[in-house]
Amino acid sequence: MAKLVDRPKADLVIRSYIPEVLRGLRVTSRHFWVNFLTRKNVVTIEYPEEKYPYPPRFRGQHRLMKREDDSVRCVACFLCATACPADCITIKAGERSDKNEKYPVSFEIDYIRCIFCGMCEEACPCDAIRLDSGDHKLPGYTREEEVLQKEDLLAKGGLSIAKQGGILQ
Amino acid sequence: MPTLKIDGIEITVEPGTRIIEACDRLGIDIPRFCYHPGLSVAANCRMCLVESNRSPKPVPSCYEMAVDGLEIQTKTQKVIDARRAVLEYILLNHPIDCPICDKAGECDLQDLYFAHNYQPSRHAFAKFHKPKARQIGPQIMADSERCINCTRCIRVCDEIAKAPQLHQVNRGGRTYIDVFPGTEIDHPYSMCVSDVCPVGALTTKDFRFKCRVWFTNGTQSVCGECSRGCSIRIDTYRNEIQRIMPRENPTVNQFWACDAGRLAYHNYETDRLQSAKANGQPVASDAAITQLATALDSVASGARVLVVLSPSMTNEAAWAAIKVGQKLKGMVRYAIGGREAGFKDDILICADKAPNRAGLALVLKTLGVEAVPLSAALAGSPQAIYIFGDDHHLEDVLVKAMDGAQLSVVFSAKDGPLANAASFAFPTMSPYEIDGTWLNEFGILQRVRPALTPTWDARPIEKWLGALTTRLLDEQIADDPAELFVTAMSSVNALDGTPLAASGLDGIGPFGIALK
Ligand code: SF4
Ligand code: SF4
Ligand code: SF4
Ligand code: FES
Repeated sequence: MAKLVDRPKADLVIRSYIPEVLRGLRVTSRHFWVNFLTRKNVVTIEYPEEKYPYPPRFRGQHRLMKREDDSVRCVACFLCATACPADCITIKAGERSDKNEKYPVSFEIDYIRCIFCGMCEEACPCDAIRLDSGDHKLPGYTREEEVLQKEDLLAKGGLSIAKQGGILQ
Repeated sequence: MPTLKIDGIEITVEPGTRIIEACDRLGIDIPRFCYHPGLSVAANCRMCLVESNRSPKPVPSCYEMAVDGLEIQTKTQKVIDARRAVLEYILLNHPIDCPICDKAGECDLQDLYFAHNYQPSRHAFAKFHKPKARQIGPQIMADSERCINCTRCIRVCDEIAKAPQLHQVNRGGRTYIDVFPGTEIDHPYSMCVSDVCPVGALTTKDFRFKCRVWFTNGTQSVCGECSRGCSIRIDTYRNEIQRIMPRENPTVNQFWACDAGRLAYHNYETDRLQSAKANGQPVASDAAITQLATALDSVASGARVLVVLSPSMTNEAAWAAIKVGQKLKGMVRYAIGGREAGFKDDILICADKAPNRAGLALVLKTLGVEAVPLSAALAGSPQAIYIFGDDHHLEDVLVKAMDGAQLSVVFSAKDGPLANAASFAFPTMSPYEIDGTWLNEFGILQRVRPALTPTWDARPIEKWLGALTTRLLDEQIADDPAELFVTAMSSVNALDGTPLAASGLDGIGPFGIALK
């Protein structure tokens, strides 16, 4: 059901905007002079020299974790691709010669589609994919730049020693 | 006829029925691993235990016969506890490597664990290790740690393929399935062991790591590799065939299919004819049709015309082809091409390697058309040749005859000598992309369904013919398989007497229709 909202009629003083503009200017200039003269309690941050500290649970660009022998932890189980609501993970699985049997020959994430929900991280049974790199995915000029490959994701990766099921040793 | 009670429901069954079959008939769910309706009973997994009034202990329902006065309980605490305990033992040494297992998603052990056990392992000791990731035959990979020793695979080899190539080695918890030393599992039905394996212990080389099963879409269709026409399910993902699985059909193939049929889809993955061709050069589809229409006018009315039909065409395409043939100028003769006869056994594989020779004969008969032997027809040096299909074993002879003809038209899914030698070649659908019906050697009419859509302008034969007749003739010939089916089968009755045309193409059930 639509709800009727009461809109009070604006009088001439309000419709001229002049008193409101002046009131806004007063706030702006007060901040300006206080910052300029005292440099205390400054609310703005001087980006990019200074960066806002993200909370630890910030979900940024993905990284693919590594095993102790520096190989990729991912076993190409496709659970992340299954869980992904944006359908942006494309994996090709291949055979590896050691006891881990299966690994991703290619692993692509399409950042045009990714919504950084973290479902992939949640679904992964191997602690192989994480969104905790702390970095944004930087924008690019072409669509190709927005699709990161296994090598790009591994470059940000680190060692994980999680046991199956994600329990730390 | 024994009458028994299951969970208080009375049921009368034929003598010799197992309790599990009676339960299935009542829709009562009994978990199972080793029981398979197409195999002998082994009763070694004990997953199917139920309580009986004739025994102090739970009994395996897949083994015990239904007898008069039996009272079976399937939902008591004792049964629930038994199932949970059986699963705990089965999972004792299981590696739980579902993330890399190709069976995950359609694995009975996964499903039954969640339904009947669902507790963490209490096994505190190191697990037994057995051989993993071994290739034990050209098509089969074995992972013995996942095996639950149900022996279904052994029974498939022994009883269905009649090739006893698998056996169990070792004892107790270290038992696993193996081939005999120095041999491999290489009989023509070897991939069936992976179908019956309730876990991922035996998987196929072809499907290994290709796709997760939950992504695939199954299309119910028919195999075109021999005249039995096994019922199959074509599993596709993103418009590519991932694997072909046999589909249950009691009158055709029971539960099985041969390896050759399941791997045949690779033939149509490469070398496809991707655009219409005129004299070997690609042209736009519309232009090719216009040019062909002009070329047809120049054929003299007394010319010798040969139409080569393929026994792999659907009945609908064959009907349309002959209908158009009857409208062509000249003295039109028909011949049947197709693959050479080959290996046969008395299990499934038939010598005739074409899926629809019987159907083609039926269509020819309905239309009152006689087919001449291909070699005789070619010896008469035809002036115009129309070739349907791409699996003619006399390909070089056909190419020579086309070189001598004034006009040659080819409808083919594959690029190759035929398409290049033709005055006009039109890209058609592969057997995995067509819609229509095939009639097998044993008189079972089955529906072939399209599982894929080509990304180029390939069309079914009847659509090309439809487009051609709109240009050429004042009369439009139907180009829709459903319409063609009704016309082509208007005088054909099913075995039980019902006319086929009444039910239509969509009236053909999953098991097909037996014809007279
Ligand atoms: S963060 Fe969400 S949208 Fe992005 S890849 Fe993971 S599951 Fe998909
Ligand atoms: S869920 Fe984890 S292990 Fe599985 S494919 Fe995705 S990243 Fe790899
Ligand atoms: S390999 Fe599969 S089918 Fe054969 S005994 Fe083991 S679990 Fe059963
Ligand atoms: S299904 Fe009955 S014992 Fe295995």
